[in-house]
Amino acid sequence: MKWLELLTVAGATLIAASTVVTLYALGVRLTAIAADASQPSPGLKRSLAYVCFGLCGAAVLFGLYLIIPYFSK
Amino acid sequence: MVALVIALALFFDFTNGFHDTANAMATPIATGAIKPKTAVTLAALLNLVGAFLSTEVAKTVSGGIIREGTDGVQITPEIIFAGLMGAILWNMITWLKGLPSSSSHALFGGLIGAAIAGIGFGSVNLETLMQKVILPAIFAPLIAGLVAYVCTRLAYALTSRHDPETGSKLTQKRGGFRTGQIFTSSLVALAHGTNDAQKTMGIITLVLIAAGTQAPGTGPQFWVIAACAFAIAIGTYSGGWRIIRTMGSGLTEVKPAQGFAAETSTASAILASSHLGFALSTTQVASGSVIGSGMGRKGTTVRWNMVGKIAVGWLFTLPAAGIVGALTALLVNTGVVGVLIAAIAGTGAVLFMFFYSRKSAVGHHNAVEVEEAGQAVRFAKKKAMARARAEAKAKAKADASAKANAKAPSSPKAEAGPQAPADADATNSKETQR
Repeated sequence: MKWLELLTVAGATLIAASTVVTLYALGVRLTAIAADASQPSPGLKRSLAYVCFGLCGAAVLFGLYLIIPYFSK
Repeated sequence: MVALVIALALFFDFTNGFHDTANAMATPIATGAIKPKTAVTLAALLNLVGAFLSTEVAKTVSGGIIREGTDGVQITPEIIFAGLMGAILWNMITWLKGLPSSSSHALFGGLIGAAIAGIGFGSVNLETLMQKVILPAIFAPLIAGLVAYVCTRLAYALTSRHDPETGSKLTQKRGGFRTGQIFTSSLVALAHGTNDAQKTMGIITLVLIAAGTQAPGTGPQFWVIAACAFAIAIGTYSGGWRIIRTMGSGLTEVKPAQGFAAETSTASAILASSHLGFALSTTQVASGSVIGSGMGRKGTTVRWNMVGKIAVGWLFTLPAAGIVGALTALLVNTGVVGVLIAAIAGTGAVLFMFFYSRKSAVGHHNAVEVEEAGQAVRFAKKKAMARARAEAKAKAKADASAKANAKAPSSPKAEAGPQAPADADATNSKETQR
């Protein structure tokens, strides 16, 4: 039986999904904070939020890069 | 015969596409992230792209379960024909019932049944069957559900906002997840394309090799890839609205953050599994994710009786498709007349189910009760909900007192105290009756 493969798949799924969700959730939260009325530096928070969204996108693209055989060969 | 099998395989691809639109697009449709029509168009396009991206799976997916090659048995186009028949019929039945069931399991089931009936028990490789079908069937929803649960908790924990001084809840502003859903659901559609279109490519290639028109060991030809890609894309576009309804609102209520978490888990599970060589069924992963995300959000209920129905559907997939496959194989073995009878009966059954479905059509207009307020301000909606709840409570109270009134006359010597006003009411109503 391929228990090792099963574990790898489970682990990879967990890591990939939680990375993407964490980054995106942070982005959402920072956007929300930046939109608050009493906020000392909304610009900074907003740009941080965009950094989070960007990293999230990069993580997804990296995943696709790993998966599409055209690139990895 | 070869042409017939190819046509049937493409039709299977079509049913596969419309059966599985729900996996990618049910949750964004349910949360109102994408309009239904746009969603299926997007899914169809991405399926098309995905089908062209990789042909790795095509070589491995269907191989191994039935002993083929020099030391095993020779798979004939007839066997594949019978297997496809079983798979298509089961796909149509589950679609009619609105059950998300695995198209690949239906295909495996059909092929196994056909091989047993056409060749014998020895033709099936039990260990590979266990490893490729039964174990993944148990673990796919488990893994996906667990990951989706963790992700949903994570998403809600990271975005829950409390006032630091008073500790009261601030507006949560989770609307961003709705935009995110567009991307994650696209990813699922892409993953589905890379995964599921491959199976049909594999089948057609197998037939071509068996018929001697293609050299053994070579990959799928370009026209096969193109035909499969378009078949699955058209299937996806026509949309299995019944299954979308089940996945989008039948299992649990889906909110954008949940949908985002569920789709991310689905996409990563499918991509990870197909890349690391432990193939999981797209449908089972997606259903598991939706259930997991439903458990992850506080105050959501998972409709377990629907989950049970789906699980029973999964249990039956393999044997049911197998039986149809076996019957078809027996028919086909009798000769050309048998093939004709099988083809006509199959077409008839598919047409019958199609027209039967017309009786209670489920289309893009009524697949899911989309939150119309999705684009509107959340705050207003919450207020409206609170108001509705208050009204419902008031109504319930009124009902209760009305019941008390109705009961009061039947037990005229009611206790004093809290019952007194009810009694008074009752006497009042009696008086008015007089």
